[in-house]
Amino acid sequence: MPKIIFVSPEGGRTTVEASDGDSVMQTALANGVDGIVAECGGAMMCATCHVYVDDDWTSAVGEASDDERGMLDFAASEVRPMSRLSCQITVTGDLDGLTVHLPDAQI
Amino acid sequence: MAFAPTDETITIDQLTRDPYSIYRRLRAEAPVVTVKSIGRTLLTKAADTRAVKDNAALFSNNDPNTPMQRAFQAHTLMRKDGEEHMRERMAMTPTFSPANLKTLWIPAYEKLAGEYLDRLPRDEVVDLFPALAGPLAARILAIILGIPDATDEEMQYWSQALIDGAGNFGYADEPFARVDACHAAMNAMVEARVPLLKAEPDQSALSVMINAEDPIPFSQVLANLKIAIGGGINEPRDSLLTVLFGLLTNPDQLDEIKRTGNWSTAFEEGLRWVAPIQASSRCAREDTEIRGVDIRKGEIIMTVQASANHDEELFEDGHLYNALRPKSPHQSFGSGPHHCMGTHLARATIGKIMLPMIFERFPGMQLVEPEKVVWWGFGFRGPLSLPVRLN
Ligand code: HEM
Ligand code: HEM
Ligand code: FES
Repeated sequence: MPKIIFVSPEGGRTTVEASDGDSVMQTALANGVDGIVAECGGAMMCATCHVYVDDDWTSAVGEASDDERGMLDFAASEVRPMSRLSCQITVTGDLDGLTVHLPDAQI
Repeated sequence: MAFAPTDETITIDQLTRDPYSIYRRLRAEAPVVTVKSIGRTLLTKAADTRAVKDNAALFSNNDPNTPMQRAFQAHTLMRKDGEEHMRERMAMTPTFSPANLKTLWIPAYEKLAGEYLDRLPRDEVVDLFPALAGPLAARILAIILGIPDATDEEMQYWSQALIDGAGNFGYADEPFARVDACHAAMNAMVEARVPLLKAEPDQSALSVMINAEDPIPFSQVLANLKIAIGGGINEPRDSLLTVLFGLLTNPDQLDEIKRTGNWSTAFEEGLRWVAPIQASSRCAREDTEIRGVDIRKGEIIMTVQASANHDEELFEDGHLYNALRPKSPHQSFGSGPHHCMGTHLARATIGKIMLPMIFERFPGMQLVEPEKVVWWGFGFRGPLSLPVRLN
């Protein structure tokens, strides 16, 4: 199973096992990772599952779609070039070791 | 396992006046309980309310025995299968796109907010419910929906009639007669706008729905607008009044928020403290189990987000408004696939515009006899008045 690493704003790292086909958001909720709220449950309507993809992983993960960029405008923390909504990132074997950084706030 | 215990003592009147003390007891003693007077099984713990709303596959909205269909003169979205319902909702979503909020609706609200605040009298007692919160919520909604000629009074009257009709579980005649008269007025208002918006389309909900490439039937256009009228006025109104009450009765917190400018946090805390929509119902599609209690297929589950927002597992002294409390997410906008479509609009307009603006205009605003403010409501809840002196 691919591993996903969540880095808190203070720098703490949490490594969890993900299932292929789940989103990074679902992986966080299923493992009790603090810092992902996901109010809309993955419908891309809330922007409370915001993450910063680690520099080493941006090309593997890819860019946000236009709709996702639009919704990111409502994120509570600063939006950066590597910002993504974690409900829109699907875990695959290629993402084993994916590292994402959590923002200061989701609401 | 066993079915949920039944409580025969709790009355609707008690839940309307003072729900929070009842929910506190239920969270401790019976977090999954069937309340006889309302004929539903209440969930009062945060983990349970969220799990049910996030699992639309197991818990649907299809509660067949409600007066809603009669009140709305339409098969509402909730009685249709997933795809048809989705099509009807999607018909309206372009209006609420982030780009439209940013370039159209938020600037429109900012201008209106200034105008409505300018009209308020100074140095006398003014009730902000009828003088500000109600009319402003009605005005911005009329603009977004594409019926700007509807007056503030009409919008509020229609909204209340729809709510009273949809909640008319006793099937009395008066609420249905009142809402029927409103339908005639609403239909006429909408029909008059159609040729104008066909000629000059804009981003309003009515325009987007009728000018779509593959439009939904006009009957459903009307039904969608009415659902928005019935559900888009009282929550913004009540949440504004609630957060103002919270800040004005806690001057030390207000001072700190003025210093930090964290108005959004103050707004979120108001939403948590008294959720404008207190509970949402779902229907179990299969036999299942919640917190070790058996749930039968067809059982109506009420997820009480008002109670979830006071859950001792998440919040210390949840019964108190505290704009400075450590952040913890509330469920006042629902969660899962029904998550409120107006969330971003409400957060941007009330949290980011109205709160700083009203305290900047009236830095010495004072509540008049806060102990006399009555809080009311089981399904929807808020203060019935907010008398203040502005200066
Ligand atoms: C203009 C847009 C929409 C309106 C006005 C609307 C309104 C409603 C209403 C009033 C209900 C019944 C709610 C209740 O009594 O608690 C409902 C149910 C539901 N809505 Fe929406 N909705 C809209 C869009 C959507 C969208 C886009 C989705 C999915 C992405 C969705 C998913 C659902 C689901 C799954 C139910 C429960 C129905 C069932 O499971 O049987 N809705 N909607
Ligand atoms: C502070 C303000 C507001 C609060 C607290 C609020 C709360 C909610 C809640 C709790 C639900 C979910 C109901 C359920 O789970 O069955 C909901 C749904 C909805 N809200 Fe709001 N609301 C607010 C403002 C608005 C506004 C201003 C609009 C429109 C202009 C709006 C449009 C909708 C729609 C269309 C749905 C249906 C979503 C669906 O069923 O999928 N809301 N709202
Ligand atoms: S969970 Fe709401 S946008 Fe990702």
